[in-house]
Amino acid sequence: MSIKRSGTLPDIINIIKGCLAGSRRDQELLYRRHAAKLYAVCLQYSGNDDEARDILQEGFIKIFENLIHYKNEGSFEGWMRRIVVNTALEKYRSKHNLYRVDDIDTIPEPDASPETDDYSGLEAGDLLMIIRDLPPKYRMVFNLYAIEGYSHKEISRMINISEGTSKSNLSRARMILQKKVSFYTGVNKKVISG
Amino acid sequence: MVNKEANIDLLFRNGLRDLEVLPPAEAWTNILPAIRRRQRPVMLLRSAAVAAVLLSISFLAYKWSREFSVTPANPFSAYENAVQPADNPLNVRAARQLPFVADNLTDRKTDYTLAENMAAPVTATDENIPQAAVTYAEVPDNMMIPGNIGIPSLASASAGLRYRTAVVDEGFDKQAEIICNLPVEKQERWSLYAGASPDYYMRPGFNNAKVPDQIYQSEQARISYSGGIGFAYKINRKLSIQSGIYYASVGNEVAGINSFAGFRPFDQTKGDHNFEVVTASGRIYTDNSDVFLRDISGDRVLTRYTNDVFDPVKSDLSYLSNSLYQNFSYLEMPFMLRYKLIDKNIDFNLIGGLAYNFLINNNVHTVIDGSKYYIGKTEGLNPILVSSSMGMGIEYTISDKFSLNLEPTFRYYLSPFGDATGVKTHPYSFGVFSGLSFKF
Repeated sequence: MSIKRSGTLPDIINIIKGCLAGSRRDQELLYRRHAAKLYAVCLQYSGNDDEARDILQEGFIKIFENLIHYKNEGSFEGWMRRIVVNTALEKYRSKHNLYRVDDIDTIPEPDASPETDDYSGLEAGDLLMIIRDLPPKYRMVFNLYAIEGYSHKEISRMINISEGTSKSNLSRARMILQKKVSFYTGVNKKVISG
Repeated sequence: MVNKEANIDLLFRNGLRDLEVLPPAEAWTNILPAIRRRQRPVMLLRSAAVAAVLLSISFLAYKWSREFSVTPANPFSAYENAVQPADNPLNVRAARQLPFVADNLTDRKTDYTLAENMAAPVTATDENIPQAAVTYAEVPDNMMIPGNIGIPSLASASAGLRYRTAVVDEGFDKQAEIICNLPVEKQERWSLYAGASPDYYMRPGFNNAKVPDQIYQSEQARISYSGGIGFAYKINRKLSIQSGIYYASVGNEVAGINSFAGFRPFDQTKGDHNFEVVTASGRIYTDNSDVFLRDISGDRVLTRYTNDVFDPVKSDLSYLSNSLYQNFSYLEMPFMLRYKLIDKNIDFNLIGGLAYNFLINNNVHTVIDGSKYYIGKTEGLNPILVSSSMGMGIEYTISDKFSLNLEPTFRYYLSPFGDATGVKTHPYSFGVFSGLSFKF
């Protein structure tokens, strides 16, 4: 194979400059470098793969459009992540009315299983699967609060709910996650020991 | 309970922190056209901005050059200033008798009319002042015009120039003297120039069902350039012809074609190429047997190694890029006419003509980590192109011999680059040639 490679990976600042100058190569380089991580974020916020792909695409288009506003302050990856999360939020808000109000009543209760704090058997992929199984309202609040670190006040403004609703949604989300995690770790342990 | 909540939060926060999942392959190809659509208006705005800046510069330069021509440094203007004071009746008379028009004077073809109280109007030009009526004399320094009309600034301004005075014969008012500025002009008919220009190529919309929309959508011109040397011959004061030899490089990006390296061990083809890619300019034939090509969403790639026969991912080929870059190099011989519209310190010219472009090289490559990876050649290209150009030249004289040129030029190709797709498309380009010329 005769691929000629020269130099080290271009510095992110140079890639950003290239993107701002309209360089296709740098745009693709930026995408290839960060797409996998950002796609994981998209999956975390969406219930299905098509929606996640849409969020990723729209997110990257916004990233390219708004690169000029990036002030080189703080982590570039964090800046991109915020754009993708905001895109997911927009998507959620636009679909909000489509989700049934009685989601809360239709949550399938996990089977009773031994609760444990030992989560060592869970991989990142399992966690992603569990979080994606949450109803959208709970998933959104849990992601924004527990993963992104927003307060209930901020979340209430972001998705147009009251602080009380945000707190109760978070509580429900945690409860479901706790049970599912316990269930999966319990199953894993049984499989290993049995 | 609080601990448990904190644990579950931490579990997900830490567990998902470094998670990476490869997005579907089509995600990037869907992003690309959206970025392009948004960039096109920006490109148009930029072009409009460049055009506006050039027009503004041209206008300012024109205004400035007009102002420059009536500054006191000009001996004739100095003379006008010298005869302006009105308190001396003789001066008033002299001023009325010598109604010089500065614009005429600077045009170096003087047409002086002595009017009003003259017995008979006399018209005198450089060439045709009647010998019987006019005598010439060298103007000595500190010369005083009879009637005590002093022109002190004239003497100081005359350094380096040869002045003559045309004294209208005795029948006319003795005080009416025409001072002619007749610098001896050496005719420099030839000039050599060198310069370069970035060019932006565009293609008209195909509007033709024969060319799949995908080909048009996926191809985009890249910034190209040309540069070289030339010469010009001045036929007369206004008109000149010019020619020369230029090297021009034209680039084109074909997006949406995935390329992989490492195909050689799987290559069973006996022919000279494995892949063909249909483009608007011609067909790309792969010369490099190590390369594997696949159209992401269309059928522009013609090969026997179709999706059901060969999977580059399963075969562990190295992904290179999703764009191919065509490069065409031409030797260009222009034959241009240049007409001088404004002859000042900054000249303005209209330029137009034809150019013959001889294809000397063409290659196709892709780019990985800033390095070129050779793919092959484009077949079906027109070996000789004829293009027509029209532009506006701005020439700033630095010295007697040297001048700077700036020429925004529009070029239209009378011949198509190629007609492999069955439709002849005539590209056009816009460039700003800048360079230096030397007169001799």
